[in-house]
Amino acid sequence: MLSFREVERKVVNNDLCTNCGSCQSLCPFWKSSEGRTYAGFDCDRKEGRCKYFCPRMPADLDALRQKFFGADSESGFIPELGPVKGVYLTRAADDSIRKGAQHGGTMTALVKLALEEGFIDAAVLSKAEGTLNPEGVLVTNPADVAKCSGSSFQIPPTNAKLNEALIADEYKKIGLVGTACKTLAAYKMKAKPFAENDNNADNIGMVFGLFCGWGLDWQGMAKLGEAKHVDILPSKFHRMDMDDKQVDLDEVLPLVRENCKYCYDMTAEFADLSVGGARSAEGWDVDKGWNQLIVRSEKGAELVKLAKEKGVLEFRDFGGKGEAGAIEKLVAASKSKRAKAVKAIVEKTGSKDDLTYLTPNKDSFKAYL
Amino acid sequence: MTTRNEPGKTYLMQGNEAIVRGALEGGVHFASSYPGSPSSQVLGIMGRIADQMGFYAEWSTNETTALQACMGASFANARSICVVKQNGLLVQSDTIHCGALGGVKGGLVLVTSDDPDAHSSTNEFDSRHMAVSANVPMLEPSSIQETKDMIPYAFELSEKLQQMVILRVTTRICHGRGGVKLGEIPEKKPFKKIGKWDKMLGLNWLHSYLLEKLEWAREEFEDCEFNHFDGKEGAETLIIAGGTGRNYALEALDDLGIEDEVGVLSLGTLWPLPEKLILKHLKKAKRVLIVEEVDPFLEEHISALAGKEKLNIDICGRNDILPKVGELNPDVLIKALREFLGIKEEKPCCSGTCPAAEAVTIPDRELTFCAGCPHRATFFALKQALIKEKNPGVVFGDIGCYVFAAQRAGQFAVQFMSCMGSGISAAGGLGQLTKYGFDQKVVSVCGDSTFFHTVVPGLIAAKMNNANILHIVLDNSATAMTGFQPHPGTGTTCMGQPTDKLSIKAICESLGCRVEIADPFNLQETIDLIFEMNREDGLKILILEQPCATLASKTRAKKKVWVEQELCKGDDCGCSRMCSRVWGCPANIWDFEKGCAAIDEVVCVGCGVCAKVCPQGAIKVEGGDE
Repeated sequence: MLSFREVERKVVNNDLCTNCGSCQSLCPFWKSSEGRTYAGFDCDRKEGRCKYFCPRMPADLDALRQKFFGADSESGFIPELGPVKGVYLTRAADDSIRKGAQHGGTMTALVKLALEEGFIDAAVLSKAEGTLNPEGVLVTNPADVAKCSGSSFQIPPTNAKLNEALIADEYKKIGLVGTACKTLAAYKMKAKPFAENDNNADNIGMVFGLFCGWGLDWQGMAKLGEAKHVDILPSKFHRMDMDDKQVDLDEVLPLVRENCKYCYDMTAEFADLSVGGARSAEGWDVDKGWNQLIVRSEKGAELVKLAKEKGVLEFRDFGGKGEAGAIEKLVAASKSKRAKAVKAIVEKTGSKDDLTYLTPNKDSFKAYL
Repeated sequence: MTTRNEPGKTYLMQGNEAIVRGALEGGVHFASSYPGSPSSQVLGIMGRIADQMGFYAEWSTNETTALQACMGASFANARSICVVKQNGLLVQSDTIHCGALGGVKGGLVLVTSDDPDAHSSTNEFDSRHMAVSANVPMLEPSSIQETKDMIPYAFELSEKLQQMVILRVTTRICHGRGGVKLGEIPEKKPFKKIGKWDKMLGLNWLHSYLLEKLEWAREEFEDCEFNHFDGKEGAETLIIAGGTGRNYALEALDDLGIEDEVGVLSLGTLWPLPEKLILKHLKKAKRVLIVEEVDPFLEEHISALAGKEKLNIDICGRNDILPKVGELNPDVLIKALREFLGIKEEKPCCSGTCPAAEAVTIPDRELTFCAGCPHRATFFALKQALIKEKNPGVVFGDIGCYVFAAQRAGQFAVQFMSCMGSGISAAGGLGQLTKYGFDQKVVSVCGDSTFFHTVVPGLIAAKMNNANILHIVLDNSATAMTGFQPHPGTGTTCMGQPTDKLSIKAICESLGCRVEIADPFNLQETIDLIFEMNREDGLKILILEQPCATLASKTRAKKKVWVEQELCKGDDCGCSRMCSRVWGCPANIWDFEKGCAAIDEVVCVGCGVCAKVCPQGAIKVEGGDE
C-alpha cells in the first residue's frame, strides 16, 4: 500500500489522527486545517516518512523506550508512567510567568532556562490567541517563551513546525514542547527509520512533555467561545473554567476529539521531562497553581537541577506520603486513561488482538484487556 | 468555393461545407445555431459569408432559442436553417414537438449532427427517435454530395408540407470530404406579409393534421431520388442501409467479392419510412441485414413492418450481429457479413510475418487540459479548498473542456455531470439538503458560454430557494471546446459585428447574492477565497477569470519557464514529482537522464503557474506578460 494511503486508512479515516503535525512539512501532500489533518493530493511513495513518524501508526514502543532511556531496570521505569528519575511539585519562581500559565508555569520557566543556558538553541511551541487559532511556532528568544504559556485545549499541528525547523537545519538543538502524541512522534523521528534520509533528527535537542487528558475538537472549542485562560478542575468539580465562565463538563466532553479516546499516555512518557497539574495527597486547594514534574532523562535531570540552583523553580514538599503518594495518585490516573483507551480501541476494532497502534505492545497492555 | 455560382463544377468539400453550400442552393435567408461538434463549423462559415451572400446568420444563446428564431423567420416565408448536434436537438425537444403541431411557412431545415462513438460528445444519442416522436420528416445523406443536394430538397419539402424537416448527419459526413458537383445558387424568394389570419400555433387541435402531413411525406418518399438500390435485384440476401451505412455495406461486399450476390437498399428518407418501397424488396428476400449508425432504428421499424405483413424472414442488425454501441466501419461490416452469410475467414496474406499484421499496442492516454489551461489551476485550487473541509465538498460539473476535471487532469474534482446546465441545478437540489443534515459543501461549475446557455435559470432557482451552494463560473472568455465561437460575453456576433459584451458579473449581481472575481492562477488566493465563501450560507458566485490558454498564447508574450535542475531534488524530494505527476501540465516533464524535473519548452505556453506548486522553488519564471 502507498505510504500516505496507509496513514490515511489506519489513522486519519480511522479517527486515530491527533493532528500532531508529524506527517506535515515533509511533502506538499499532508496538510492541516481547523484541527484536522488531510492529504491534499495522492502521493505515490510506498515508504514515506509520514508513515514512520505518525504516533498512531504501529511501532514497538517498548523497544523505542529502551533505545532512548536504557533498560527498564535502570531507567526507573514505572509501567503506568514510563521512565521516572524523579517526581517533584514545582512552580515558576517568577510570578509574571505564573500569571500566564495554566498551573504553575514550570514548563515556561524550564524552556526559557533551557534556551538561556544553551540546552537548546530554539524551541518549537504551541501558541494561541486566547483559545483561538492555535499554531506551532519556532521561538529562539527566551523572552518569547512566555507568550506561548497556557493551554488552548486544542491540538495544533506543532510537529509540522518541528519538521520545518529540522529540515531547515539552522538550529542544531531544537526543543519540542508537546503532548504525548507529539513527543512520541519526536522519538520516532529520533529513531531515524530511513538510512538515506534522517530528517536531521539529531537536531532535536530536548523533548518536553505535557500531561494531557484530551484535546477539544476545533469546532467544539469554537462552540464554547473564546477565553484567555482555560483550566479543567479535578474530577469532583466536574467543570471547566474559561476565564470567569464555568462550563459543566457534560457540555465539554461531547466536544472532545474522537482520537483522544484512544490515547493511552497521560504523562507524555516519551520526553526528557514531563509537566502537568499537581496531584498531591494534599488535595486541590493546596495543589492549585503548582505543577507536577516528572524527570525522565539525564538531560532532564540536569536542567531541573540547574533550575533549582538558579532559583528559577520553586519546589514544594509532597506532604502526606511524600513522593510515593504523589506517584500513587499519578499511577491511578494513568491506569484509568490506559483502561479507557484500550476499551475504546477494542470496541473500535472488535478484537482484543487488534489494538491498532498498540498492537506491537499488546503484552504490555494485557492487564487492561 | 461554397459561394461560387458555378453550376456543374465539382469541388472537394468537407461535409460541413456541403451543408453551407446546400443552404445557399436552397436560397437560405436565415441561419442560426449554438456550437456543437461535429457540426460547429457550419455557422462559423455561414457567418463569414452571410453579408456577401445576402442572408442573416447568428449564434444563439442555446439551441432552443436558435430554433425558435428560425421559426420566427419562417413565419414571414423566409427559408431558415438551424444547425445543432444531437444534444442540441434534445435541448430543442419541446420546441420541435410543439413547433411541429404549428407547422412552418417558409422552409425550415433542422440539421442535427450525430456523433456515433461520441468522439466529441458525452453520448451517442440517435436523433432519429426525435423525428418519430415529433412526427417530423427526417432525411440522412450517405455522401457529401447528397448532403449538399438534400438541403434544397428539404427546403422544398418543408414548404410543400408546411412542416420543418430534420436532416440527420453523422461525424463522418461532417468531417469527411468528397467531391461535390455544384448546383445553382437561386434568387431568394421574397418575404410574405403576415396576414391577420396567418397562424403558427402549436396546439393539439392540429394533431391529426400533423399526422396527415407525415403521410404526405411518406407518399413523397416512396419515389425519392435519395433512396438507392445497388447490387442484385431479387437477391435472397438484402442489406438495408441508412445514411452512411450504405458506404460501409458496399465496401464490405466489394471486399468479400459478393457485390453481385446481395441487394442493397439504401434509405435517405428515414422518417416516415417508404413502406411500399421497403416491402417490395423485403418480400423477395430471405434474410436482411440492417446497417445503420447507433440504434437499431430501421431494424425495429422494418421488423415491425415485416411482422405486420406476416413475412417470414430473418432481420438482423445492431440488435444482434452488429455491435450495439459505437461507430460502424467496413471491418465491422465484413466481420458481420461473414457471420451472417457463413463465409469462412481467408488466410492472412502474409501469414503474420509482415509488420503491419503485428498488433501495435498504444498506451492509454487520458484526455487532459492543454498546457497553461486555467482549468488546471481552478480544479487544483478547488480540490484543495474542498478537501480542507471535515467532510470534503462535492463538485457538480457541466459540459465544456472542464469535464476532464472528472479525471486526473482536474484532480478528480468533478463528481457529477449530465448535460449543459446540469451542474448548477443539481447542486441547487443537493444544496437544499444541507438544511436537513447533509453535511458537505456543494459547489457547481460552469463555463462562460454555458452560463448563458442554460445556467442562468438554475442560478435563479438557487437564489429564489436559497440553496446553500457556491457556483463557480470558469470564465475563459471563449466557447473553447467547440472552437472559439462568439457568445454573449465576447462582444462580437456570428457575422463579425461588434455588440455589447454582457457582463457575467453584472448578471450575477442582479441576483442579489455575493459575487467575487478571482484569477485561478493565484492559486493560494483562490483556495482561501473558495474556502471562505463556502463558510457562508445561501448562494454565492465566484467568477474565475483567466483566458483560455489557446487564445491567450496568441496574444500574450510568453514567459520563459525553466527548471533550475540543481534546485530540484528529483526523487529525493518529498513531492513525488509534484509538477509532472500531480499538477500534470503536459509541459511539466521528467528528465529521466538527470532524474529531475524539466519543462518541455515546445509545449509550454509560459503561464508559469507550475512554479507555485514546486515545494523547492526549482521552477523559475522570467519575463513575458501577466
